[in-house]
Amino acid sequence: MVYFLQEYFFNCFTRSASIILLSLSLLLPQLSNAAIPQKHEDFPQGVSAINPGSELWREVRQRDSAVTGISQVKGVETGVLINSRGGQWARFRIENPVKYAPMVLGVVFLVLVLFYVLRGKVGIEGGLSGQMVKRFTEYECIVHWTLAIVFLFLAVTGLILLVGRPLLIPLFGKEIFSLIASASKEGHNLFGPIFLVSLLMMLFSFVKRNIYEKGDLAWLLKGGGFIGDGHVSGGFFNMGEKTWYWIVILIGLVISISGLVLVSPNFGQGRLVMEISHLVHVFGAIILTAISIGHMYMGSIGTEGSLEGMKSGYVDINWVEAHHDRWAKECHENEMVISAEEYARLQGSKPDTAMEKEA
Amino acid sequence: MIEYLIDGPLWYFALVVFCIGVLWQLASIVFARSKTDLSVARGSATGGAWRNVFSRFVPHHEIAPQIRIQVVAGYLFHLGLFALLFFAAPHVLFLEENLLGFGWTPMPHWAFIVSAQFAFLGLIMLWLRRVVNPVSRLISTLDDHVAAILTFVVMLTGCFALLEGSTALRLLHRFTVEIWLIYFPFSTLMHTFTFLPSRAFTGAWFGRRGIDA
Repeated sequence: MVYFLQEYFFNCFTRSASIILLSLSLLLPQLSNAAIPQKHEDFPQGVSAINPGSELWREVRQRDSAVTGISQVKGVETGVLINSRGGQWARFRIENPVKYAPMVLGVVFLVLVLFYVLRGKVGIEGGLSGQMVKRFTEYECIVHWTLAIVFLFLAVTGLILLVGRPLLIPLFGKEIFSLIASASKEGHNLFGPIFLVSLLMMLFSFVKRNIYEKGDLAWLLKGGGFIGDGHVSGGFFNMGEKTWYWIVILIGLVISISGLVLVSPNFGQGRLVMEISHLVHVFGAIILTAISIGHMYMGSIGTEGSLEGMKSGYVDINWVEAHHDRWAKECHENEMVISAEEYARLQGSKPDTAMEKEA
Repeated sequence: MIEYLIDGPLWYFALVVFCIGVLWQLASIVFARSKTDLSVARGSATGGAWRNVFSRFVPHHEIAPQIRIQVVAGYLFHLGLFALLFFAAPHVLFLEENLLGFGWTPMPHWAFIVSAQFAFLGLIMLWLRRVVNPVSRLISTLDDHVAAILTFVVMLTGCFALLEGSTALRLLHRFTVEIWLIYFPFSTLMHTFTFLPSRAFTGAWFGRRGIDA
């Protein structure tokens, strides 16, 4: 009997407890919701200060951690609605490459101006003789100038895209700048692959003569003749020219490949790859542009007799002896030197025209 | 105002100058008086003309190594420009809406870009060859350089307007095209229309005399 009563009361208790717990579990969410307005009794209208979508947008903006959703659109990063890293990347770009690129180019330009003022044009002992040697073929000159023209176009349009916003908007205003930037972007993208083709033509045309050889290191140690007055020995290409060639080829390839990654975003590369490519592209382009300013200086007003080599393909024998004495020896041995009259006849000008131009 | 001028009166003026100029030049060649050839024919003039028209598409084997650059660059430029002019989607649409009233299937965008790249590379190399090669430099006139540079500028402004989102860039391209059309009949650009008749004339002359050239 006692056992029966105990069991009866136990069952009643457990059932009551179950009902109470069930009721509580159903009521608690309601109570928790009802508690929200109670926290904000300052708002008599009963408007909640907390945006009910704030949690959702926090997730979307991914301020706490990266979240990838599900989308019908299939592709790279299509599950990411808003990538807050984009803002960080934009700030990084403005605070680094955009800021330092003009500085680097400006410093290089100033150094060259200073160098020209202090050192002047590097002349040839005894001056130009008028006797010429064929250094480059017509095809090699055309390849060089094609690459140069395309590179200059890309450098100008690239710099407009990189630093045009802070530099050109104050000059031309936003509307004109938007036109210039749009035109530059289209031009830059279209000429990029032409640069790659020109670069490959340059690679195959000049590679044999740009392999480093014995004697090149001595050229480097004497700073290519700019340090001291001593004579610097050199072959067909000296070490400085060979190094410039390999810089153009290697950095040019890096710029081209990173540019193709940027211009073709439909090959599955993500945002990170694009950002890295952008940095590599800008870094390489600035280095190449900075050194090319030096190359343009050396090939024109910096060194007497250099420009003629790429204009006509012929160089003065005294210039060859001053800068490429080992090759000069070959020229004399193989009777490659032609007279001023013969050179003038080949160029279709009077004998003294070339000399006058150089002078 | 500028938009109205470029899209309206200047466009029609350029078109009229181009059409009348080209017709006038061609007519002056066709109706030019030449001495009657009284010699006994040693071969067929017609056969010589046809042979010369097609044989000159390939360089003669004896001079091929010397002119390899202008052959390759020439084909790159001319084929690229032809594809651009007549098969680029914006041009097909323009011709359909403004001139012909009918259109045809344009090439895809990637082919448009590749054609433009071929044309640019070819034109740059051809012009460089003109100034680097001493013989070409000597026989080149100011007109040759102006024609090349003007064509380059037209292509460049077209490249700038590729996005098709800016009226100003479209007008710039159209303006340069109008200048190019006005310049065309009075320049070496006329070789677009005269290269076939001139080949045929030379070929007929050779053919009649039995010259295998």
